Amino acid sequence: YPIYAQQAYANPREVTGRIVCANCHLAQKAIELEVPNSVLPNQEFEATVKIDYDLNQKQLLGNGQKGGLNVGAVLILPEGFRLSPNSRSPFFNTYSEQLPNVIVIGPVPGEKYREIHFPLKAPDPTTNKQVHFVKYSIYAGGNRGRGQLYPNGQKSNNAPVLASVNGVIEQIRENEVVIKTDQGDLVSQAIPAGHTLLVKQGQKIQNEQPLTMDPNVGGFGQAEKEIVLQNPTRLKTFIAFCVTVFIGQLAFVLKKKQVERVQASEMN
Amino acid sequence: MSILKKPDLSDAQLRAKLAKGMGHNMYGEPAWPNDLLYTFPVVILGTITCCIGLALMEPSAIGEAANPFATPLEILPEWYFYPTFNLLRVIPNKLLGVLSMASVPLGLIFVPFIENRNRYQNPWRRPIATTVFLVGTVVTIWLGIGATKSIQDAISLGLF
Repeated sequence: YPIYAQQAYANPREVTGRIVCANCHLAQKAIELEVPNSVLPNQEFEATVKIDYDLNQKQLLGNGQKGGLNVGAVLILPEGFRLSPNSRSPFFNTYSEQLPNVIVIGPVPGEKYREIHFPLKAPDPTTNKQVHFVKYSIYAGGNRGRGQLYPNGQKSNNAPVLASVNGVIEQIRENEVVIKTDQGDLVSQAIPAGHTLLVKQGQKIQNEQPLTMDPNVGGFGQAEKEIVLQNPTRLKTFIAFCVTVFIGQLAFVLKKKQVERVQASEMN
Repeated sequence: MSILKKPDLSDAQLRAKLAKGMGHNMYGEPAWPNDLLYTFPVVILGTITCCIGLALMEPSAIGEAANPFATPLEILPEWYFYPTFNLLRVIPNKLLGVLSMASVPLGLIFVPFIENRNRYQNPWRRPIATTVFLVGTVVTIWLGIGATKSIQDAISLGLF
């Protein structure tokens, strides 16, 4: 949940470039980010985060039932870029008061929001002195499905159960597995509802060996794109410059043709 | 189309030069003023306009401030270092990796000496140099593409 990150981290993007969602959503699945190549000051534009997955997949819910996947995304914009004030969608939130340029959404049902269109507004460098007409980076993180860890480090039931000791499977009960260690101690491990066991009674197992199949079908991914904050005056000047250059080139070609006619008459 | 001056074959000097395979500058379209004064500025202006357009539409990103205590998740050098970077990361022995990087310019230096008894300049008549060039180009591009892939696909490019 984005709220976990908002409670625990002042900035969702670590100095290494990793987005903190990956600390709980350990599984990795790619996402796509689409932004315009360049935007003008105060222009309203759209960034699209595509979180694709197979809609037939079901995930293990917290209560052990199977259910559809939720998706969520975080969009880390350059300083000054904001959620569009005309946006009516209640799903988009800013990350915190200090970071209005970071926008989070989720969890929302994946059936409807596999493509998330963020309505955005570009800043104006004439009013906001922090912003300049340069190329900026936009970072996005997107996730489908539940995480594998809670922020306190506790494992969720969306991860395989690993053996905590070396030993032999002594007994398999409805929702626990009893392991007899080499020293003869009995250790019981709880198996959450909905998990499929991988081990059989009497099987010798190693510490950290998975006892159940990995129930996870989702994953988190991050992407990066560049966007140019374009100066309209520069564009107009450049178009005028192009016209001037074209006229200049035309003049050179016409002058050459004229000189060639003189040369032709001198050769004969 | 354009003005073409015919070679003056009554000129003994030109005939002597042509016999040696030289003197091609003394006929055809005159360089001055047709080419130098009129065609060159057209090309120069066009090049300048293209450069300005690229600088305007696609400026270089400033990027993040360097932080020696935080290695980015994905490290990748400038594009022209991709092939050697890939060599460095797939060769497990670091000394061999560095030597493989050093061997690239050393190998290139040796190419003209390998075939220096060959008196032709035409690449089709210099089979060793041309083979080294073609194989080297393919290997370089292959390794360069591999540098952008994950380490498992660094050599195979995920194709096999």
